[in-house]
Amino acid sequence: MSDKHDDKRKVQVLVKEKTDFLPFIKFKEAELTVAGQSLNRTDDPLKVTGKLRFGADYSQEGFLHGKILRSPHPHALIKAIDTTKAEALEGVAAVLTAKDVRGRNGFGAIIPDQPVICSDKVRFIGDGVALVAAETEKIAHEALALIEVDYEPLPAVFDPRDAMKEDAPKIHEGGNLLSYDKLRKGDVDKGFERADVILERTYEVPFLEHAYMEPDVAMAIPQRDGTMLVEGPMQAPFTVRRNVAPVVGLPINKVRCRQIHMGGGFGGKEDSPIDLGCRAAVLAQHTGMPVRMALEREEVTIQTAKRHPMIMEVRIGAMKDGTLVAFQGVIYDEQGAYASLGPKIPPAGGSHVHSMVMMAGPYVIPNVKVDAYLCYTNHPYGGAMRGFGAPQVHIAHEQIMDELAAELGISPVEIRRKNAFQLGSETATGQVLDQSVGLRETLEACAKAFEWDRRFSETGYIDKERSKRRGVGVGMGWYRTSIGTGGDACGANVYVHEDGSVLLYTGITEMGQGAFTVLPQICAEELGVRLEDVRLVQPDTDLVPESGPTVGSRSTTLMGNAIIQAARQVKQSLTEAAAEILGVAPEQVEFRDRKVFDRDNPFSSVEFSKVAGRCMATGRRLVGQGWWTPPAASLDPETGQGNPYFVYTYSTHMAQVAVDVETGEVEVEYYVAAFDVGKAINPRALEGQIEGGVAMGLGYALMEEVVIREGVIQNTNLQNYLIPTTLDVPDINPIILEMPNQFGPYGAKGIGEMPNIPATPAILNAICNACGGRVRSLPADPEKVFWAIREAGGAPNK
Amino acid sequence: MSLNISFKLNGEAVEVAVEASTLLIDLVREKLGLTGTKAGCREGECGACTVLVDGKAYSSCLMPAIKVQGREVTTIEGLRKPDGSLHPLQEAFMDAGAAQCGFCTPGMIMNAAALLSNNPNPDEHEIRKALSGVLCRCTGYRKIVEAVKAAAAANQS
Repeated sequence: MSDKHDDKRKVQVLVKEKTDFLPFIKFKEAELTVAGQSLNRTDDPLKVTGKLRFGADYSQEGFLHGKILRSPHPHALIKAIDTTKAEALEGVAAVLTAKDVRGRNGFGAIIPDQPVICSDKVRFIGDGVALVAAETEKIAHEALALIEVDYEPLPAVFDPRDAMKEDAPKIHEGGNLLSYDKLRKGDVDKGFERADVILERTYEVPFLEHAYMEPDVAMAIPQRDGTMLVEGPMQAPFTVRRNVAPVVGLPINKVRCRQIHMGGGFGGKEDSPIDLGCRAAVLAQHTGMPVRMALEREEVTIQTAKRHPMIMEVRIGAMKDGTLVAFQGVIYDEQGAYASLGPKIPPAGGSHVHSMVMMAGPYVIPNVKVDAYLCYTNHPYGGAMRGFGAPQVHIAHEQIMDELAAELGISPVEIRRKNAFQLGSETATGQVLDQSVGLRETLEACAKAFEWDRRFSETGYIDKERSKRRGVGVGMGWYRTSIGTGGDACGANVYVHEDGSVLLYTGITEMGQGAFTVLPQICAEELGVRLEDVRLVQPDTDLVPESGPTVGSRSTTLMGNAIIQAARQVKQSLTEAAAEILGVAPEQVEFRDRKVFDRDNPFSSVEFSKVAGRCMATGRRLVGQGWWTPPAASLDPETGQGNPYFVYTYSTHMAQVAVDVETGEVEVEYYVAAFDVGKAINPRALEGQIEGGVAMGLGYALMEEVVIREGVIQNTNLQNYLIPTTLDVPDINPIILEMPNQFGPYGAKGIGEMPNIPATPAILNAICNACGGRVRSLPADPEKVFWAIREAGGAPNK
Repeated sequence: MSLNISFKLNGEAVEVAVEASTLLIDLVREKLGLTGTKAGCREGECGACTVLVDGKAYSSCLMPAIKVQGREVTTIEGLRKPDGSLHPLQEAFMDAGAAQCGFCTPGMIMNAAALLSNNPNPDEHEIRKALSGVLCRCTGYRKIVEAVKAAAAANQS
């Protein structure tokens, strides 16, 4: 669309004094030449020719093939395991049970509560009871079939509300309630007393599968010096290392995790590489041989993390004019069998706390109360998935906002205009948003591009047969940049060489989001070289500084700052050398387009490579290390009050749908989504994030659900776990607004997760606007839409 | 039972022994080392394994290798202009930002290549229909459709 990039506005930035705050980087004021440009991705030439090798493309020669025997029961005691027949099979190198794990028999992103190999009981159908390594995958499969396990099935629990009952089967020693968190702001009872209108609704969302296109693979390769090398696609190589080390009984410095290009992650490859890495390493340690463990699609679905399902009870109170006065929420958050990324890492880490913090939405509400329960069940476990607990609660608050607007007789846009955050607003946690708040601007830009007023007035039947009705919907959202824990630092190393070429070392992984283009763009911008002059090294825990995980929409902002610091350290030497060559004072020196200039005399310049060469010849430092930690997070455990995340990205989505009122089928016809991203480092890559995120949110709204019966997943492949295709996704029109973030590189904030979040409720709201049916339990597939229309008393006449 | 088959792969004659049960995807990836063809689901749903057989797009995970006896197979590694330079689709995918993680990219490009060879000037719906058998979780498909349009335009000029 035409107004894609020209709709940029700036707001005056109010800066509150902060004391708990690390060195704030002053960014370049001059015109940017590399950052901010829609440059082609650095890895494109390999991707379009099929030359890029993913984990499964690596040579398998010399590798044993590892396989996992999983439990057929969602909850059972293991009475006995007989592996003798499997061991006797020709070509089998090892059959391991729990007793063979030499170190800690447990792993997990936050709590190591999942056994590498279960010893006494299984807690879900993805649990591993034995591991096999064999010369071929086929032999490994045959060996699995020869292992005899005697189980004693136990009563199982599949609903978080049941899990909290006193007589519920106990899944873990410490009980089924993994975390209870609360948020208290103002006085919610008094708030409701004041309200002219109060609504109460319950919304439910199912387990979701990431459905990254690349099935998981990990390789563990014992090294001659006694270290263990683990290779594979990983969103969090440092977390994998932190888990593999105790499992194989080695110190952290003897485990090396080396990243392989990733075919999509979306949060899922934060957990699964820990699982596969630990299990492959145990087999490799036992056999002394390299072991490759590759999952088939069905195994990915059965064994790996999902998006948390939730039951959300919401009560909202407003004045007649739409002003919100009170919000109360209860979240029953289903963790499944293992803790994964659900529980709290103080002060504000973990998906459960994040859900609680976000639950009241991006709205000013003086009185808020949220109670959030996170429970173990015998289902697969919930982990990180693009939005980390935020998509679920957005589905609740964005739908109840629309239901409230309908009750009050005001438009869905008007009620949001009235209550949306702006500069200086206070959130439900009492955080004052003191900078980079472009939410209202996204609403206005989106409404203008979407032509909301016109489309909103043109809803109704669109065919003569009166079977299809058109409707429009809006969804608003916010999302953090960072993870809200103390360990949220990023490190980067920058090496400049005598020919002017640059090596950039970071621990941030590429999974399709574009980090391998955006991060070198930032490095090139700072050094005044071109993108192609910077080679980014694949994360390798032996080589790169600890950078935390590639999650939380944190990479561009946090790592960007670390890169700038590292580059500036090297620039000190380069500046000195250039000043000598040019015969000017160091502060006169400017770096641009592979040259170093005298600021006042653009005709006086020297090649960047010559300057680097002089540094080398004169023994100056050409290595820089940057280290950036965001402002400290805070969240009071009793009241849920504090500053959990240091900056947020904001967005408004608008969708137009056509609903077949006879079949319940929904088609999304038109879509506009506007974002305040602070600063787009690569606008085209950012649009890609937006378009892909919206498509994923569309899948959540209309078709996606991991169907589980008595603990057993029914749709384990893509044949019946449906994700959107080219025919389901409309042309998505992204709008990028830039309200500079004072703490981000050139003003940038995170974007990875935000686009997926308001998409789902925008579509659900459009469906209701079209046909009168409100689907409160996802997905809004034809059957549910059909019944929602029935429940509403049939489709409207007009 | 092992069988000898001969076919043309990316323009070159190949003679190779396969089992009756060997799938084309495994022959291409494992035996012949062309790993540009990806396995995402192994049941013909995701389309990442698409190759051309006599110019038509097929999911190589559903096709027994013996079926290509005497036929012409093209994988992503063999897609290029006669002069050896990149195919217009490959250029267009880069310029449009149509590849994100890149796992579906070979399958997308091979399907699009089959489309453009039959229909050099497809409209948006024809493009979307032709690519509907290839799943992408990253892009939302918009830039992929744009890339195919751009490649079609480049072919015309």
